[in-house]
Parts: sequence; C-alpha cells; structure tokens
Amino acid sequence: MTFYAPFCLPFILGAALMFIIVAWKWILWLLRLPRSDKRLILRGLFTHRTLGAAWEVVRESLLHRRIFRVNPLLGYMHMSLAFGWFLLIVMGWIETISYVGFRWVPLQGHVFFKYFATSLPHKPFFDFAMDLLLLFVLSGVALAWGKRLYSRAMGMRRTTKHVLGDRIALSALWFIFPARLVAESTTCALYGGGGFLTGSIGGWMGAHIGVLPLMNLETVAWWFYSSCLGLFFVALPFSRYMHIFTEIPLIFLRHYRLRSTEKHSSYDHFQIEACSRCGICIDPCQLQSVLGINDVQSVYFLRDRRYGMLTRPVADNCLMCGRCEEKCPVGIDLNTLRLNSRDRMRNVPDERRYTYLRGVDRSSGEGKVGYFAGCMTLLTPRTLSAMSTIFEAAGEEVWWADREGGVCCGRPLKLSGETDSARKMMRYNTELFRKHGITTLVTSCPICLKVFREDYDLPGIEVLHHSEYILRLIRAGRLSPTHGTTRYTYHDPCELGRGSGIYDEPRAVIEAVGELLEPASTRENALCCGSSVANLAISDGQQLQIARSVAAEMEATGAEVIVTACPLCKKAIGRGTRRPVVDLSEIVAASLK
Amino acid sequence: MAAINFGYTISKPRAIDLDRNNLRKSDEILHEMPELQTCIGCGACTAVCTAGNLTDFNFRRTHTLVRRGEYEGIYAEMNKCMLCGKCRLVCPRGINTRAVVMLVKRKLGDF
Repeated sequence: MTFYAPFCLPFILGAALMFIIVAWKWILWLLRLPRSDKRLILRGLFTHRTLGAAWEVVRESLLHRRIFRVNPLLGYMHMSLAFGWFLLIVMGWIETISYVGFRWVPLQGHVFFKYFATSLPHKPFFDFAMDLLLLFVLSGVALAWGKRLYSRAMGMRRTTKHVLGDRIALSALWFIFPARLVAESTTCALYGGGGFLTGSIGGWMGAHIGVLPLMNLETVAWWFYSSCLGLFFVALPFSRYMHIFTEIPLIFLRHYRLRSTEKHSSYDHFQIEACSRCGICIDPCQLQSVLGINDVQSVYFLRDRRYGMLTRPVADNCLMCGRCEEKCPVGIDLNTLRLNSRDRMRNVPDERRYTYLRGVDRSSGEGKVGYFAGCMTLLTPRTLSAMSTIFEAAGEEVWWADREGGVCCGRPLKLSGETDSARKMMRYNTELFRKHGITTLVTSCPICLKVFREDYDLPGIEVLHHSEYILRLIRAGRLSPTHGTTRYTYHDPCELGRGSGIYDEPRAVIEAVGELLEPASTRENALCCGSSVANLAISDGQQLQIARSVAAEMEATGAEVIVTACPLCKKAIGRGTRRPVVDLSEIVAASLK
Repeated sequence: MAAINFGYTISKPRAIDLDRNNLRKSDEILHEMPELQTCIGCGACTAVCTAGNLTDFNFRRTHTLVRRGEYEGIYAEMNKCMLCGKCRLVCPRGINTRAVVMLVKRKLGDF
C-alpha cells in the first residue's frame, strides 16, 4: 500500500516548512539564553519540576483550564479545538497501527488515512471514534464562528482586532475540519464505511449524486483539505498560532524558574510568542472600558513587540495595574515585558546622574523600626500624622527616614524605563537603611513597598506595609482601637494587592475599627485608581474619568467612608467622589482617641 | 530640624533675546505637549519637588527656559528629576509633568 497521492503535496510542504521554522526558533532562543538561565534549566531538568511542567502542559495547552475559569463556553471552545485535534491525531495513529500493524507510515499516511484505506476492511469502532472526535472539534469551530457574531455569549465584550496574517491562518484553521468532513464523506460515498457522521453524509451523497461527479468532488475535496492544512502550517510560525508550540517550552522553562526581568533576555521570546491573542486581556483594561483606548492592551503590545513595530505611545500607555496579567490564560509576565520594552526605548545610563545623592541624609529619630513615608505620603500629611499617632500609642521608637524630605524609592523611574538610573536611588536608600541599623522597615506607600521587596537587597531588615505593621500591633495588644459603627469600603491598591499579594491585612485592620463592605470588583479584580505612576500617556482629564468610575463603584456599596492603603490612590479617588477618602492609618489613629 | 531650602533664591539679572534664540525645539515640544501652554507658572510643582528639596533643581524654571529657547544644560538639569510624580498631583492645570520631563529630555538630549 502506498501512502502518497498528488494532493498530499501542500500538506507535506507546509508541515516540513513549519517544523523547520519552529525548530529553528526554539534552538535559537534556547542558545541565546543567558548562562545563568541555562544553568537553571540543567539543574531542573531531572527533578520533579519536569513532571510538574508536563502535567501543566496537559492542563493548560490541551485542556485550557484557565480559560474555563474566565468563561465555560470560551474554555470549551478552546479545549475542543486543542484537545480535540490532539485526540484526533492520537486516535489516527492508533487507527493506522491497528490496520497495518507496526510499520513505518509517512505522516500524510496517518493524516489522510481514510483516503488510502478504502481497500481495507472497515473497523466500526475507529469509524465511530474518529467521527465522534471530528464532531467534537467541529463543535469548537462552530462556536468560534459564533464568537465572531456574538462574543458576549462567551463572556467577552470585545475581541482582538486581527492583522492580515492572523486572518489568513484563522480562515485556514476554520476550513480545515469542515473540509475534512466533506473529503472523508465523499470517500465514504464512493467506497462505503464511515461512522455516524461521515458514513451518514456519505450515504446521503451516494444516493443523490452520480459516481462521476462524486469522483471529481473527492479529488477537489482532498486537495482543498490538504491545502488548508498546508496553508495553516505555513502561516503558523508567523501568526498567533505559534502559541501552540511556544506555550509548551514556556511552561517547562517557567517550572525551571526562568523569569523575565527589567532587562530584555532571550526568555522573553518564549513569553511573547506564547501569546495566542485570545483577547481576554482587553476587557479588564480600564483604558479600554473607561476611556475607549483600543490599541494599547497587552495583546496589541505583545503583537507590536513581536513584529518589531512597537511604538513608544503604545509601550507608555499602560497603568501596569496588572488586571490583564491576572486574567492571562497563558500566565505571561505582561508588566515585566512592558517594563523591559520601556527600558530598551529609554534607558540611558549616565554616570553623572544623581551625583547629588551623596550626603543628603535628613532622617530624624532613633529606633529599630524605620518608617519610610515615600514621596506620595509626604503629599498626604494626614497619613503621616496618623502614623505618628500610632507609633506613639504603641510606644514604638521610630527612625523617620524621610519626614523632612528624602530620596524617591526609584520605582517610578524604573517603571518609566530608566532602570539604570533607578538603581542609583536604590543603592542610596539601601545604604541609608543599613547605616541606621533598623531591623524593620515600614512604609505606607505600596509603590515603595514593592520596590523594597523586589529590588532592594536588605538582609536583616523586614519590609512591611503599614497595614501589616498596624495589624501586628493590634494582634500583639499594643494598639487597642475601639470598634465603631461606621461602614467602610476598601479599595485595593494595585501595587499592594496584585503587586504584593496583600489583601487580608488591610481588611482585618478595617474590621477591627468598623464594618467593611466589599465593592463589586475587589481583591484580584480590584480596579485601578487611574493615577498610576506607570502611565506616562493619559491626560489629567482621563485620569479623573477613571477615578470617577472607581469612586462610583465604591459609593455603590453604601459605605460612608472609602478607605485605601496607598497615598496615590487616596489622592486619585478623592478627586472622583464627595465622600471622604482616607488612608487606613487615619481610621486607626482616629479610633484610638 | 534642618532648615528647608524652598528653592527661592534671587537669580542673577540677565536678558533672553527671543529674536536670537532658535525656538524650533521649543515649538516641537509645545506641539507634542500643547497642555504645557496652560501653565500659569504657580510653581506648585517646584514647591513639592523631591529633587528640588535636595538640590536647586527647579522644574518651573527649567521648562520655562526651554520654552524661551534656552536649551543649554537643560538635559543635565532635567536629569535631576526623580520622576516621583508629586508635581503632577499638585498641578492646578493638570499638566502631565512627568511626560514633559521625558519629552524635554528626548528632544534636548544633544544640548
């Protein structure tokens, strides 16, 4: 039995080209990884991490579990296409083996087995199983068509606007399975066999169409099926479908603890090309939902970066609130990638910069506990005096790092892409903290908190947000706030919640003082106040618009007072509402009297 | 308590000749950032400035000089900014001051 027919040519060429390009990309990216990353891979290769990664590949690349969490129907659509196609391939191989035994069969022999196997006796089990799987995939294709017409049914208000290459690949993909159905059905019409799907359609065709037209139709159908496959395979490495083959190594590398950093590295390629442009990141983006900005979301940012057409306005226009990252089914480090894009565009190492940082220590007081207010807290003096009251009430000796003015923590500069200069500030503050011999560093600014925890090297110094610190004092009995009847609602600052994973401490503090009411979007889904220092592009009016939308949600809880734990959020939301917006420390300090 | 330097010192008298200064860069900056024209020169940005608290960096003076076509040393001066963003919060005209800093640095990197 020969496994070749002229119509196989588009498929063979396409598949060969695809495998060569994908292998080329993988090898190039892996070779270009920094030495330390390669060492991490070698160290993790023969450990349980490889097993963990393999299991995650099954869960995410095949079953798409994380998309199910966004919307079940959307999850089913992705699963039926990915898992269904995978099963179709596996079942096809088993079918071939069961028919011809363990002998070498070329790739097209497996894929177009129905065409070549007409002379063999039929095995009804495989006819049935293959038809069932085909139906499974076709249901996904039908849903994909439906999603174009009405995406809201799948929980998506907006879907991705695709570029031409993606549209070609997408069209080819949509035609592959209907084409397969028609091709197999015509073969069944001519030679019999087939399951409940291809067999029934084949039977109907055989009864209504003459043999000669059927034979012509068969040739055309198989050519069309093969061409769709070939076209899809050729387009795959250059389109969004590269994610099929990139997500797998990405999951393994992630399990080996490779991470993107503020500097570009070869690992970023795995993350960027693992984006399937599903568009799930579009709906959470407040720039989209409140301001109607449609071309800066992570999906477009990654696309532009991948094809080398990233512009500064796109890279700059992002709040880095992390709402999209939270939802990304592939788990791409969207904020870090945007950060290192900005670094590439803007970082200008300058040795002379910030030479004035030498000898500007204006700190005051003595104590093992250091308090770093942060620039923004210096603009909200009520927070500062509330902290002062709390320290006094708890009898804490405090070293005030910057009450009379200090040096910025460096995160705003880092977020804008000037990472090397930001390091200078980080070094300065690190030395300052060490010099004063503190063991605990408290800050009331989540922006500072995140950079202290992630970028500063502070051995022997515990970094705490004031919410954590206050809760500790309360639990240790050093603070005894009186429980009142005021109803509060709490706004999760991005850098504190999604950024540092602190959700429960501020809530526990509020509940110690009064009643807590949760807004509609809360915790991981909390909204951004809109004034994020990461955004260099939106105007004051646009910031205010976002602040108003956030404030409206907070007001809808019916709470009398809006509480937050970030001086920047406090300032921002305060502009959008008439209700009082206060810092966490203020309500605690007030309840002490 | 250390004496706070608010940045209010007497500048040496000098004249800016707008006929001689080349305003091309200045116009480019205003074109990209038209809201800068709404600046009323209140100096709130400078009063709260973190860098201005530690040095003689003066954002109001610096961006005003740029608009008058005095570009010399502006890049090094703007580089003193820490981009903390307090100025943006206090600006009564809501000017995106951080973007102004970045824009001026980008346009005047050669001066």
